[in-house]
Amino acid sequence: MIQLSNVTKQYKSGTALKGLTLQIDQGQIYALLGSNGAGKTTTINLLLGFLNPTSGEVTLDGLSPFKDRKAISKRVAYIPENVSLYPYLTGVENLDYFCSLAGIKKSKQALKEILTKCGLQSGAHTQKVAGYSKGMRQKVGIAIAYAKEAKVLLLDEPASGLDPAASNELTMLLKQLAKEGATILMASHDLFRVREISDRIGILKKGELVRELKAETVSANELEKVYLDYMQA
Amino acid sequence: MWRILKNELIFLLRNRVIKAITAGFIILLLLTIYLGSLQTETQSETYKAAKSHLREQWESLDAVNPHSAAHYGTYVFKPANLLSSLDEGVRGTTGNVLRVEGHVQNEIAHSEASQMQFVSKFGKLKSSLILQFIIPLLLIFLAFRSISAEKESGRLKFLLLQGASKSNILWAKLLSVWLFGLLLLFLTVALYVLINFNSINTDTFKRLSLFFTSYSVYYFIISRLTVFFSAIWQNATTALTTMLGIWILWSIFLPNIMMSTIEKLYELPSRDEFQSAMKEDRSEGINGHDPKDARAKALKEKILSEYNIDSLSALPINFDGIVMQADEEYGNMVWDKHFGAIRDITTKQKRAYQLAAIINPFISLQNTSMGFAANDNYHHQAFLLQAEHYRRDLIKTLNDEHAYGGSKTGNWDWQADNDFYSSIPDFTYRPLKFNEVFFRYRLDLIILMCWVILTCLFVTLSSNKMKIA
Repeated sequence: MIQLSNVTKQYKSGTALKGLTLQIDQGQIYALLGSNGAGKTTTINLLLGFLNPTSGEVTLDGLSPFKDRKAISKRVAYIPENVSLYPYLTGVENLDYFCSLAGIKKSKQALKEILTKCGLQSGAHTQKVAGYSKGMRQKVGIAIAYAKEAKVLLLDEPASGLDPAASNELTMLLKQLAKEGATILMASHDLFRVREISDRIGILKKGELVRELKAETVSANELEKVYLDYMQA
Repeated sequence: MWRILKNELIFLLRNRVIKAITAGFIILLLLTIYLGSLQTETQSETYKAAKSHLREQWESLDAVNPHSAAHYGTYVFKPANLLSSLDEGVRGTTGNVLRVEGHVQNEIAHSEASQMQFVSKFGKLKSSLILQFIIPLLLIFLAFRSISAEKESGRLKFLLLQGASKSNILWAKLLSVWLFGLLLLFLTVALYVLINFNSINTDTFKRLSLFFTSYSVYYFIISRLTVFFSAIWQNATTALTTMLGIWILWSIFLPNIMMSTIEKLYELPSRDEFQSAMKEDRSEGINGHDPKDARAKALKEKILSEYNIDSLSALPINFDGIVMQADEEYGNMVWDKHFGAIRDITTKQKRAYQLAAIINPFISLQNTSMGFAANDNYHHQAFLLQAEHYRRDLIKTLNDEHAYGGSKTGNWDWQADNDFYSSIPDFTYRPLKFNEVFFRYRLDLIILMCWVILTCLFVTLSSNKMKIA
C-alpha cells in the first residue's frame, strides 16, 4: 500500500532523507521513531504529496502522491500532532464541513454516530470546538478520517500531549481502524505507545532508516535500549 | 468553493469582535449618510431661500438705468447635489456662490471650509472618508490572516487532503472578505436611496450604480491583494505589514506625490500672475467708462459712418450702451483666453492624474467617486461656465436695452422699467448628463478593471507559489 524506494529529500538547508526504502502493507501499523529533525515529518509530507522527492520513488496505493494529488486525497487521511479545527463550529459541524469538502454527504445522526464511534462523548457533539481538549480534537480528526473511509492514515505525533486515558483510547481506535483494513503510518517519540500499537517499528536517524523491528518481538525495555543506542551513536 | 465560502461567512457571523465592529461601522455609515443627507437638504433649502430672495430683489428693482443694474448685479448659486451626502468631493473647498456683474468675472466664494473653522482644520466626517479609507483598512484586517492562519494551524493541509483545491480556498477567502465590504457599501447606498427615494431619477440611479461599481471593484482589488500576500508570505505579520504599507502608499502618499509632480509638470499661473495678465490684456481693449479711449473713438467713428451721420447727438440709439457691450465683449475674449488656458492646463493635469492610477487604483476610485457624485472639478468647471454664460447674456441684455431701449447717447438718467428687469430669466443650473460624466471617467473604470485582471493573475500565481510543507 505504501512504498518508498530509495527516497532522498534535499532542502537548501540540508538533507532531510537519505535513500529511505520502506514498504507498508494494507492493514499494517508502522511507527517511525526518531528525534526531532530525523525526517519523520518529511516522510509524511512526501506521502501526502506536499513535497516532491529529490530522488527515488514514492507510491501510495500505486499512485504518486505528488502527481496524483486529487486521487491521493480520496485515499489518505492525515492527523497531525495538533488537530486544528474551526473553533466557531461544533464537533458535528466540523465533521460535516470536512466531509462535504471530500464530497461525502451524511445525515447529522450519521455524523454523530461516527463521532461516538471515535470516542467523542455525545454531550460534546454540539459544543463549539473552542472548548475542546486536545484529545477531543484528535478524536474529531480521526472521525474525519473514518468518515472518509481513508485507506491510509498518516499520523504525526498523534498521542503527544494526550493524557493516558485519551492516549489509550487513541490506541484502541487506531487498532480498530487497522483491523478494518486501514494502513497506518505514524511518526512518534512515544516508545511505549509505539510498541503497543504498531506491527513494525522503524528508527530514523538524520534521514536514514537505521533499524527496523517487529513490535511483537521486542520488549519495551529492549526497544528503549535499541533506540537510545542509535540516538547516542 | 461554495462550501468553503459558506464556512467563512459562518466565521464572520459567529465572531463576536467582527459582529461588534460591523455593528459599529454600520451605525457610523448610517449616521454619516443621514447627517450628510440632512446637511445637503438644509444647504439646498438655504440656497433656495437665498436664490428666491435675490430674485425677488431683482424683480422688484425700481426703474433704473440698465448700466446701473449691471453694476448692481446678482448672485448665482451652485445647487447642492443630491449625491453630496455620499461624496462631497471638492465642494467643501471650491465655494458655492458667484457674484454676477458687468465688467468683471468674479471668483466663486462661500466654501464650507471657509465658513467653518473645524472643517478647515480637521476635515469632516464624510461617507467617502469611511468608504475610501476605513473600509479598505477593515478588509485588510479581515483578510491578512485568511491563508496564513490556515497554514500556521495546519488546517490548510486538512483542507487540501479533503479535496479542496488551493485556488478554491483562495477564491473563497477572497469572496468572503469582499462580500463583507460589499455589505457595508450596500447598506450605505441603500440608506441613501431610502432617504432620497422621491428625488432619485434615472440619471441619479445610473450615477449611483457606477458609484457602487467603482467601490466594489476597489474592495475586490484590496481583498484580493491581501489574500495574495497572506498566501505567499510565511507569516501573517508580514502580510499585514505589506498591506498596510500599500494602503498608506496608495491612500496617503502617492495621491499627494503624484498631484504635486503633475502640478509641476503642468504648472498653473499664480492668482497674481493670472490677474496681472488679465489686467494687461484688458487694458488693450475698449474702456467703456473712458470717453477719451482711442478704441472707443474708433468704434464711435464706425457707428457714425454706419448711420451716415457726423455726431452722436444725431444717433437714434444710445452709443454708451454699444461701447459698454464692446467693452464687455473684449473682456469676455480676454477671460476666454486666460480661463481657456487654465482649463487646458487643468484638463492636462486631470488626464495625467487619471493615468497615474496605473500604479495606484485608489486614484481611479477617488476620481469616479467624486465624478459620479457630481462633486468633482469637472462639475465645478461646468457650473462656472454656465454661470459665465448667464452673466454674459444678462449683461448683453442690459447693454442692449441701454443702447436700443429708447435712450440717446449721454442720457444716463434714462431708466428701464421694472417689467424689463422682471422679464430677464433667472440663472438655472443644468446638471451634467450621465453620459457626459461616464465619458469623462471611462478611463478610470478601465484602469480599475485592469487592476482586477492584474490581481487575478496574482491569485493564480499565489496558488502556484503557496507552500504547504
